[in-house]
Amino acid sequence: MEQPFTLTSKLRGDCLVIATSGYVNNVGGEAIAKEFTRHFEQDIKHIVINLAESKVVNSIGMSFLLEIIEKLQDVDGKLIFTNLDPAVDKMLAIMGLFTFAGKAPNVEEALKSFP
Amino acid sequence: MEEVVTLKIELPKIPDIELVAIEGLERLARHLEISEEKVGEARLLVAEAIINGLEHGGAENPKVNVEFTMTAKELIIFVRDYGKGFEPSMVEDPDIQKKLGTKNKRGWGLKVMKSMSDDFRIESNQGGTKITIKKLLS
Repeated sequence: MEQPFTLTSKLRGDCLVIATSGYVNNVGGEAIAKEFTRHFEQDIKHIVINLAESKVVNSIGMSFLLEIIEKLQDVDGKLIFTNLDPAVDKMLAIMGLFTFAGKAPNVEEALKSFP
Repeated sequence: MEEVVTLKIELPKIPDIELVAIEGLERLARHLEISEEKVGEARLLVAEAIINGLEHGGAENPKVNVEFTMTAKELIIFVRDYGKGFEPSMVEDPDIQKKLGTKNKRGWGLKVMKSMSDDFRIESNQGGTKITIKKLLS
């Protein structure tokens, strides 16, 4: 069974890399948004969200990520998703998130796309 | 003759209960030797249908009935709640452009289910809502 949600984050230069594990439901989505906000207040405006260990997500959890996009738009920042399961990739596409966020096969590739 | 496996469960409204149904779905798929890759979208459809049912199911009867009918070729997901129902045609498709800058960023479930499924049907009246989703697996 999909495991409970956990999150780790680290700074790579001036980029925040958040990696999740387990089911990204409303609690998980909110936790991602809070972790982002904590760093955003420290002037971090580049973020990578690695969903390699989250094969099950729901649209409520993903809707919290719109808050991140909103804040990044105000400061010309950028969000990149990595390691997406094909089904999760499709859900994000249906929701239109890739209009405002990028995707990359892995974290290293994502980091290369930041200035 | 093609094997058909079914699973019927009643789920109470408790956090993450949809994961129980997803576990059942995965076991059916393993039994029919359906690859993990093909089950990926079905998992998300199950989660969406159940959380939608539990969210709109109302306080009087906070549960959903879930039924999977699976063959090697397709999966039928049926979810029934016992809420007050709604008029599906009155639900506007969400648009990310309109959601940004507003407080309510939710409301994606129906759009995700319609877009990700191979057939999506919804019947709703004052006695509750029934969602039937077909997902091809081959």
